Amino acid sequence: MRKSSVVLILMAIFVCCASFAEGKTYEIAVVPKDATIGWFKRMEVGVKQYAKETGMHAYMKGPSKTDASAQAEVIEDLISAGVDALCVVPIDPVALEPVLEKAMKKGIVVITHEGSTQKNTMYDIEAFDNKEYGAFIMDNLAKAMNYEGKYVTMVGFVTNASHMEWAQGGIARQKEKYPKMQLITADQYVEIQDDPNITYQKAKELFKKYPDLKGIMGTSGHAAPNSAKAIEELGLKGKAFTCGTGLPSQVRTYIKDGTIQYATLWDPADAGYVMCVLAKKILDKQPITNGINLGRKGYEKMILKGNLLIGSGWITLDKNNIDDFDF
Amino acid sequence: MGKKRLGHEFYVFLAIVSLSLIIQARSGQFFTLNNIVDLMVSFIVPAIFAMCELIVIISGGMDVSFPAVASLSMFATTKILLSMNYTGNVFFAFLLSGSFGLIMGAINGALISIFNLPALIVTLGTQSIFMGILQGALNAQEIAEIPKVMFDFGNAKLFVATNPLNGLKSNMSSSILILFAVVIITYVFLHFTMWGRGVYAIGGDSNSAIRAGFKVKQIKFSIYCFVGIVAGIAGMTRVCMMQNCQPNNLIGMEMTVIAAVVLGGTSVKGGSGTIIGALLGTFLLTIISNSLLLLSIPTYWQSFFTGLIIIIGTGVTSFQLILSSHRLPSMRKSKNEA
Repeated sequence: MRKSSVVLILMAIFVCCASFAEGKTYEIAVVPKDATIGWFKRMEVGVKQYAKETGMHAYMKGPSKTDASAQAEVIEDLISAGVDALCVVPIDPVALEPVLEKAMKKGIVVITHEGSTQKNTMYDIEAFDNKEYGAFIMDNLAKAMNYEGKYVTMVGFVTNASHMEWAQGGIARQKEKYPKMQLITADQYVEIQDDPNITYQKAKELFKKYPDLKGIMGTSGHAAPNSAKAIEELGLKGKAFTCGTGLPSQVRTYIKDGTIQYATLWDPADAGYVMCVLAKKILDKQPITNGINLGRKGYEKMILKGNLLIGSGWITLDKNNIDDFDF
Repeated sequence: MGKKRLGHEFYVFLAIVSLSLIIQARSGQFFTLNNIVDLMVSFIVPAIFAMCELIVIISGGMDVSFPAVASLSMFATTKILLSMNYTGNVFFAFLLSGSFGLIMGAINGALISIFNLPALIVTLGTQSIFMGILQGALNAQEIAEIPKVMFDFGNAKLFVATNPLNGLKSNMSSSILILFAVVIITYVFLHFTMWGRGVYAIGGDSNSAIRAGFKVKQIKFSIYCFVGIVAGIAGMTRVCMMQNCQPNNLIGMEMTVIAAVVLGGTSVKGGSGTIIGALLGTFLLTIISNSLLLLSIPTYWQSFFTGLIIIIGTGVTSFQLILSSHRLPSMRKSKNEA
């Protein structure tokens, strides 16, 4: 069943790519959610490295704010410019369906990243399974909390599918493995509107409301560092803990002073790099199979599920390795 | 004037008191020293912005560009100080940020006063332009490590409030002194100078103001310059307090600030409004945004609830305005003459 679907997809790709000559320098455009933020600047590092190593014309072009219609416009422009492949990190998969459909009809290779619900894409690369990453965050939080105490989760927006899946994956892991920990169900998903200042205020409010709150599981990159700021100020260092996704530059001070024990992350540079690798493989009509190696750590044995390619590209940041990351 | 204005402020004050009591009843955590300090700290930046917007709205305009002005000023300043490894006085950071704000404010002011364009449209346009410069020309991204002088200023505290029951501590940020200074300066300008009289006069009736001998264009121009400077300072205050520089973070705040100022009894038609009212309106919205969890409003309903309070609040204020509108013009004029 799986094999036949792969063959079908491949045949479709063959037809799409029939016009492209072998060994040609392809133009591969990577479209991030927002070209101005640190996360995607880091992704660009991977894209540039790929371009340097392979000589392909790979580059990043994205909207200057996180705005779904602006992202669609960027993609429109790239289609008109005649790129060979589009690697998109969709803001809102639904909003991008028409423009990506148009791209695929024109024979452009379309790959998405963190867009598991996207229909008009050949493959969607996920650094990891969302639920498993959530469980990974929980493992780290539980370790910091000494496997006991009350906790809540923070999500960027309750409408953010990935954040919600991480939170749910974390909660599931706690229920299965850490019986002494307890979720505060009344505020299980605290919405921080992906804003540092709001996160800081919400964290303070949570500790006021629940004097026995011991842990905050963060999903959005703003959650852990700004909760740590609140923990430090409230005088709860060593009594309350937070763990979640964190850019090294944002969590560095807190990891060094011990307010945050562990932060979790995947390297966006890797994601940028492997999207280009996959695009090139498709353009070269190579077979995309289960267990494919995309040439980066955590992406060496990708699991193929439908059109999802799932890696295990997560890392833990702690006192020992935080200085190895320069972004 | 006393009677009418006391009315607006009194209603907002009443709203604050009743909301506080509700939060206290539901959480038992409102009237604690550390919570009050938390609220004051959250209040600082919106309140500084409220002073900008208040003057603009009194003069009959509407400025939506000040968060963009603040963002660009603070980002450019942080970048410059970082690149020169600045270690001097933090005052220079505020001066620089205020100067960038002044330049942008002057652009707004020139377009609005010289070409007599509607302030809302001009500032909508310049807002996009300033953000465009920030994102395009400066290629802005978050700066996680800000200059040490700014970091230290953000960490500086007047005192620490400790809740004796649970031991939670909150720092009263020194930045509140900036808010005091801005409020006092705005108060003096608005109530003790001819310029301030002019601001009210222009908002009341621009033509009458010209006939009364006010230099309307100059006053309008200077209003936006003032807003620019204050916005630049507010932006720098935010960076110091948050101890990182987020280029997009302030955008969207203009609507909350406008709502707060109107909530405080400032007429969107111009000509009337008080500092106390604007501060109370801002404080009310600050309380709401900082107490949604304490109030146990479910996450999915929080924006609904915030919107509801704004509508009810402005509704009550507008209703008060309608009630007193017959008496308003004559009373204000007699005060201006006096």
